[in-house]
Amino acid sequence: MFERRLYHHVDWAMLGAILMICVIGLAQIYSTTYVDGVGASSIFYTQIYGILLGVVALVVALSFDYRTLADKSHYLYLGIIALLIYVLLFGVVRGGSRRWIDLGPLNLQPSEFAKATLALVLAKFFGESRRGTVTRADLVIAGAIAAVPLFIIYLQPDLGTAVTLLPVLFAVAFVAGMPMRIVGIVAVVAVLAAPIAWNFALQDYQKERISTFLNPSEDARGAGYQQIQARITVGSGGWDGKNFRGGTQGQLRFLPVAHNDFIFSAFAEEQGFIGVIVALGLYLFVILRSIESARLSKDRTGAYLVLGVLASFTFQVIYNITMSAGLAPVKGLTLPLMSYGGSSMIATLAGFGLILNVRMRRFTN
Amino acid sequence: MAVPVEDRRRISARLVIIQTGVITVFAALAICFWVLQVIQHEDYLRLADSNYQRTLALRAPRGVLFDRNGKVLVENRDSYTISIIRENTKDLDRTIRMASSVLRIDRAELQQEVNRHRREPSYRPIVIVEDATLDQVAAVDARQYELPELQIDEVPTRKYPADGLAAHLFGYVGEADEAQVRDIGVPPGAIVGKHGVEKVYNALLMGADGEKNVVVNSVGREIRVLDRQPPVEGRRVQLTIDYDLQKAAEDGFRHAGFNGAALIMDPRTGEVLVHASLPAYDPNKFQETYASLLSDTKLRPLINRVLQGTYSPGSTFKIVVAAAAMEEGVATPDTRIHCSGGATFFGRYTRCHLKGGHGSVDMRHALEKSCNVYFYTLGNRLGVDKIYKWAEKLGLTGRTGIDLPNEQPSLVPNTEWKKKTTGEPWYPGETISVAIGQGQVSVTPASLAVMIATVANNGKRVTPRVVKAVDEGKGWVTMKPPAAADATQFKPDTFRALVEGLWMVVNAAGTGGRGRVEGRDVSGKTGTAQVISNEGKARARGTDRDLRDHGWFVFFAPRDNPEIAGVIFGEHNLHGYLGAPIAKHVIETYFAKKEGKPLPELKPKGPDAAPTPPVEDPDSPPAIEPTAVAEALPVAGPEVAQ
Repeated sequence: MFERRLYHHVDWAMLGAILMICVIGLAQIYSTTYVDGVGASSIFYTQIYGILLGVVALVVALSFDYRTLADKSHYLYLGIIALLIYVLLFGVVRGGSRRWIDLGPLNLQPSEFAKATLALVLAKFFGESRRGTVTRADLVIAGAIAAVPLFIIYLQPDLGTAVTLLPVLFAVAFVAGMPMRIVGIVAVVAVLAAPIAWNFALQDYQKERISTFLNPSEDARGAGYQQIQARITVGSGGWDGKNFRGGTQGQLRFLPVAHNDFIFSAFAEEQGFIGVIVALGLYLFVILRSIESARLSKDRTGAYLVLGVLASFTFQVIYNITMSAGLAPVKGLTLPLMSYGGSSMIATLAGFGLILNVRMRRFTN
Repeated sequence: MAVPVEDRRRISARLVIIQTGVITVFAALAICFWVLQVIQHEDYLRLADSNYQRTLALRAPRGVLFDRNGKVLVENRDSYTISIIRENTKDLDRTIRMASSVLRIDRAELQQEVNRHRREPSYRPIVIVEDATLDQVAAVDARQYELPELQIDEVPTRKYPADGLAAHLFGYVGEADEAQVRDIGVPPGAIVGKHGVEKVYNALLMGADGEKNVVVNSVGREIRVLDRQPPVEGRRVQLTIDYDLQKAAEDGFRHAGFNGAALIMDPRTGEVLVHASLPAYDPNKFQETYASLLSDTKLRPLINRVLQGTYSPGSTFKIVVAAAAMEEGVATPDTRIHCSGGATFFGRYTRCHLKGGHGSVDMRHALEKSCNVYFYTLGNRLGVDKIYKWAEKLGLTGRTGIDLPNEQPSLVPNTEWKKKTTGEPWYPGETISVAIGQGQVSVTPASLAVMIATVANNGKRVTPRVVKAVDEGKGWVTMKPPAAADATQFKPDTFRALVEGLWMVVNAAGTGGRGRVEGRDVSGKTGTAQVISNEGKARARGTDRDLRDHGWFVFFAPRDNPEIAGVIFGEHNLHGYLGAPIAKHVIETYFAKKEGKPLPELKPKGPDAAPTPPVEDPDSPPAIEPTAVAEALPVAGPEVAQ
């Protein structure tokens, strides 16, 4: 199934960029969690295992033809739904939400895998549509497909991850030919839905985060603290940063979760604007190469799959980096490929396995 | 399953839209980071630095105070303060609630203390417990994870001698108030002298606080020290006080069983050997006891009686009248006046204290016997302004100029003064009561000490002072003695007669016999300060005010070339002669020390000791006072201390 000639069609440049981002993230985790007199923290080693497992997942996702995977995607979808329900009932509670399955040395977060699965299912759904355009009925069905995992994840509660499913739906439907009129309606509804979501869907702590975003100094010790500190962290980095392990904000913990949600702030502090440009360039390169893969795709399913996977990745990258600069409300959204987190790393690399898969098999039947 | 052409075209078009969108957003992000990291970099760097760098004050130990012989009087010890750092707390109310229960201190007071500092930067510690007990330190230490906002610091603290020895002389220290921050330019929260020597010599004593720059993490824990500027200890100061004499005086009061004041000095230099005011307080526990000290309106332990109490000098004032009379030529040492037990002035008969009269007495014997008629007559011949003139020359008016704060002026009336304050002319009849130190004459113990020292010093008046030398880092530098405050040339006979009379007071048939020290030729004069006129006394009977008279004993020794002179003021002790034993004990101690003999000890009063037999006190105010004098006597609030 992994024919030798396919090897030559692997996008080595993109894979290289992805792994470079992983290494940058790993170095930053090392720097931020290093304990004086003790050495590298266990978090650093866990992340290495996460990357190694992720590479394995990538190779696995690359091995099977994406069309086969898409064909069987409804099983994957049902499997993920089952896991999500299991988590909801028996998952490990951490920080007030039930997101993890305890697997001994490793905790698995099924919601991370829901993104790629949803991309597969939607790619199959829209790819099989022979009508050449997207009808309202299609949108309703696709919406329902996305809504089920989204709702379950929302119940955990993990609004951040739940929301990342929406770009998947929207991107696939958009590329699949959703009429521009409906695109406009979706945009308008999104704007109108904001106040409704404010009233009904958001928890108090979430509202607080958003309202502090609008006026951080109002609550400089509470929720606004992280945002102000994020800006200070990034801004104090300057042109060339404070050097590896030289950041004061991240090292002395003025910036919370500097190895996780705010890893990009800590990175910007230590590596400066030059480092930021390099990292942004790598991310942009990966995204543009992926879009290129979609364009080269042999069939529509491949193109939709690439876009589906890419959508949640891009959304999360942009949101997290904006938040890292203190320019967006603080949300528990990690930075894919850089932030600490095994499940996220494995799921993201598996997703890129699918994208590489589409490009690699652009000549096969 | 190739993609149809129109599909491919549509997909391509939409991919271009997405591509353009992504590139735009990334460009925008790059610009945002450019603005934050390059354009606004300086501002954020400053903020980041102020996050993790802290400058903490290191309190300098204050200068050590020595007595004139090099014995340490006031030094420093280590104590612990507990403070709140508001920056490290999320919920200040919770912190205050928990701190008050952990430290067992009143919550309202704690809240007040925190409020007082609320405008200071939140990283600056607010001291909530000074000199914490070990229990309190342990309690905070045990909860350092629960209450990381509480901080324990080891700071040098003043250690004063036990029993409140010379408490009013040393004064006390405390946190600078707003006025001090403004006037002497210390930072808020600095510890400065608030009273006494601590206040007057604060600039020398306080030294320079050091500081250290430290790196702290987000919960305020100190990670490492960046640099450290050690504090500079305050200058050492040597007082003129003699510890043993000071102790002898205070022991003497305690032995005698009354409160009062003593100022004893070397008349030649003005160096104060003893400065005592009783009751005293324990400056080591000043913070805790301040409220109760302040509210004790009966004993008023915070009042420094030496400088802040003003009282009628009574018969001790006769020295001034005698000097004035001889200098003004209205009398000579041999002027004899006949005392028949009373005399009539301005149509009013005024009694002497001795019923049958003293007969014909000269100046020396008038002093010895404290004959009122003699001094009424001299006073009448002089007039009040001439009495005032010589009271001033002897140092009994205004302030002595001692190097201690809050000195009250002493008052000797004159015609100009009365015109100015009451608008009325001086009635010659009033001079009669002034002549025996009653009426409006109101003086501090310090000024009486200066008066007697001036007499002992043959008219050369010196300014009393309590600091002998300071060490500004290059060894002891003796303070320049202040120039003589007044060096009027007196007639040689004046002091010869005065000294003979005062010697007789103690060593002949006078009232100061209890101050006699064999071979030391102690000379002195007793006096009684009326607290209230005899009529007023009758009126005020039944109130809880202590209306008993105060007693004075001014003295110097030896008679020729005196080395020690001073005043013993006994508060409500009724008789001036009861202060004489205190002076005696100090004088004995002085000479024993000078000659290297063992210091005398006071014999404990045995239970079988007979109560002091009532002795006719010649200083007691005449039993029947003419109403004119009674009017002239203000219903004296003797301790007019502000």
